[in-house]
Amino acid sequence: MQKSLKISFIAHFIILIISSVTLPFLMGRVQAPLVISVDLVQIGDRTNIPYAPKVSDGEKTDKKIKDRVVTGQAPPKIVPKEKPDAVPLPENIKKIKELLEKRQNPVKVEELKKQTSEFEKKEIFDPNKISALIDKSKKDNAEANNKPSLEATQSQQKNIVTSKLTITQEDAIKAQIFKCWNIPIGLPYNENLTVRIKIKLNPDGSLVSSEILDQARMSMTGQTYYKILAESALRAVKLCNPLKVPSSGYEKWKEMQLNFDAKEMLKG
Amino acid sequence: MKYKIFTIFALFFILTVKSFALVSVDITRGNLDPLPTAISDFYLDSKLNDNIKKLQLESKIPELIKNNLSRSGLFFALEKKSFIQKPELAHNKPRFEDWAFIKAQVLVTGKISLEKENRLRVEFKLWDVVSANELSALAFYTAPDNWRRVSHMISDKIYERLTGEKGYFDTRIIYVAESGPKVDRKKRLAIMDQDGFGVKYLTLGNELVLTPRFNPTSQHVTYMSYFKNLPRVYLLNLETGIQDLVGDFPGMTFAPRFSPDGKKIIMSFAQEGNSDIYTMDIKTRIVEKITDHPSIDTSPSYSPDGSYIAFNSDRSGFQQIYTMKSDGSNVKRISFGEGLYGTPVWSPRGDLIAFTKLYRNKFYIGVMRSDGSGERLLTENYYQEAPSWAPNGRVLIFYRETASDSGGRGGGAKLWSIDLTGYNERLIPTPTDASDPSWSGLLSGK
Amino acid sequence: MLSNNLGKVALSLVVALFLGACATQQATTTTKSDDAYTGTETVKFLADGVPDRVFFATNKSELTSAATATLAKQATYLKANPTLNVVLEGHADERGTREYNLALGERRATAAKNFLISNGIAANRIKVISYGKEKPANPASNVLAWSQNRRAVTVKTN
Repeated sequence: MQKSLKISFIAHFIILIISSVTLPFLMGRVQAPLVISVDLVQIGDRTNIPYAPKVSDGEKTDKKIKDRVVTGQAPPKIVPKEKPDAVPLPENIKKIKELLEKRQNPVKVEELKKQTSEFEKKEIFDPNKISALIDKSKKDNAEANNKPSLEATQSQQKNIVTSKLTITQEDAIKAQIFKCWNIPIGLPYNENLTVRIKIKLNPDGSLVSSEILDQARMSMTGQTYYKILAESALRAVKLCNPLKVPSSGYEKWKEMQLNFDAKEMLKG
Repeated sequence: MKYKIFTIFALFFILTVKSFALVSVDITRGNLDPLPTAISDFYLDSKLNDNIKKLQLESKIPELIKNNLSRSGLFFALEKKSFIQKPELAHNKPRFEDWAFIKAQVLVTGKISLEKENRLRVEFKLWDVVSANELSALAFYTAPDNWRRVSHMISDKIYERLTGEKGYFDTRIIYVAESGPKVDRKKRLAIMDQDGFGVKYLTLGNELVLTPRFNPTSQHVTYMSYFKNLPRVYLLNLETGIQDLVGDFPGMTFAPRFSPDGKKIIMSFAQEGNSDIYTMDIKTRIVEKITDHPSIDTSPSYSPDGSYIAFNSDRSGFQQIYTMKSDGSNVKRISFGEGLYGTPVWSPRGDLIAFTKLYRNKFYIGVMRSDGSGERLLTENYYQEAPSWAPNGRVLIFYRETASDSGGRGGGAKLWSIDLTGYNERLIPTPTDASDPSWSGLLSGK
Repeated sequence: MLSNNLGKVALSLVVALFLGACATQQATTTTKSDDAYTGTETVKFLADGVPDRVFFATNKSELTSAATATLAKQATYLKANPTLNVVLEGHADERGTREYNLALGERRATAAKNFLISNGIAANRIKVISYGKEKPANPASNVLAWSQNRRAVTVKTN
């Protein structure tokens, strides 16, 4: 055993010497690992699943889910910028939190949250003031931390909503949807992509239906960006269900058209 | 009186009409938070033989996809323990409530089966949990050993389907692996997968090698070597392993890069204390002088359409970034901020130029538009340089060095990536110290 | 004759030392443009009294007065040894981008080479190579080390 090991060791050593003498550079054919091919088969990009719930059924299901979540923890939509969390089962929460912290430096998480405002800042960024910028971003961070929880802001807004006019009401609706909408960052900012969605609401703000007004564009070739934007917009509407709505004026807002346009965000 | 009634009536009419008009709300803002994504274990066909089962691909493939997607900063992969539905059922007929319950917005499922002897079929589906839809479904056929590549390709498909932009996971990185003390550093060319896996060394370290760069098909690499103590630009064919000297210059050639069509190499040639930019056609070996200026002109980089060149020059007295037409005309300075600017690299999308900036003894990686406007600094550190773009133009890889102590110990170099937001900065693991990274194009895009 | 030469060397050494001392004293207050190293650490000798290297200020390739004094000695030495060939190795500190530093090293080495040529050394006896920041003389990351690394070193090739 020992002997054979020695032999093998010596043999390997010799090979190494030989290769280091013969291989180098000039003759040197270096071996790059080959790229093995993979065949690709499209299973069907837009398979219509027969068992997929119909639109109206789907919404009911959605609502049920929401109900469950609502009873499970604090009102879901008010929790601002909430980090995607795993199951809210109590015994899992700790573990998940630990994992979250392990996965990412918590500071970084913080920064990710505020990139919206940072984007705008950088737009008008003066290269002569780097240090100032860095200091500022730190300050912003601190400010963000000191801000009263958004729950308070939200309820303030609500007060205004009930007592004031459409612009304020509109702002309140906007503010909610902003938080539900994950913008697909790869979309071009120099193309005119606006997705119009018509929603119908119950008096309690829950969603009756949502429909894309340019439905046809969804299935047109060359409209991939539009489709991706529309899908994300639909998700936003459904995630925001039920919307916090003004306590009066149902006739005004029972039907709304939402125009989703990510251009400003994507310009960053 | 009549008029009054009419006016009141008209007013009433207008008001009612207005109140029944569809309220239109413009949603122009959203969040850029990572998308909550559930990546289920794949379902393993029971007919698979034990050799393949041993590979545990049903969890390894999803794990790799998860790693890719979360590192991109655009996805938040939910913890597997929280999943309710079993992989097989999830793949065939997901119960969207179960996935919505754990707050997943999208779901990835998959199935692994045997197509024929030693050939796998890996199938994946991407689901929109919120809208209860299937978004995409694809199958890949490959040898079992190639499962990493398949995982990267699946990651790219998911990324593209959800962001609208090509992915960058099925790619490789060529870099300089460093070892030994700073005063006698050993440098070897090395290549690896984008996630740091599968490192292979392409040179032995007998001579100094620097600045490797891929060609557009990622099959060739141009780099600088001090072979026989003559610093020159070389061309390496990754598939045959053959290396060639580029051109016959009577002095140092350096800072090489390919033209976007892969036909030319653009580089600097230094002679009599003056560095100018030259191109050489690889086939015809015709050499052209592009800049002619007594200052240092180096680090040239083509725009993706090949009609412009960004480069680095100290003709103003200090290192700044310039652009010119590809024939050398129309030279324009584009960097005007305080500090020194170097290593301009044109983004594959064409809209941005990445650069290194030295200001008040700190190094920054940043981007500006190709006319020099909109400068944004993405990261600040003691020392970092040499950004290289991922093929989709969203992520940059660069290297960062740490300072050594007064005895010269402790300094090291590592590869890092950062995306255009400047917030998603990641170390790319390498077995040795590493510098001068270059990102390949999508391998599947060949 | 020999003693005369020695005297000259001694004189210039004294002058160099004097200038060096001045520069070191100023070092704390001077700006980056004249931060060339003037000490003798890391310096080797081609022959007795003939230092092998000259130092440069940050981002500069102009020869300082200390550098020309050193190169003058090298020229004298090379004249006295007409069969000797040299290579001038140009270097930069680590506080610059790699590619620019390669060009800068070449420019520094060429500046030294041109001085030797103008002092009567045949151009074909001098080769030039740049190592950029690849081969520091002092591996530390501090101002002193960087100043020692911004250099052109004359190395005998035969």
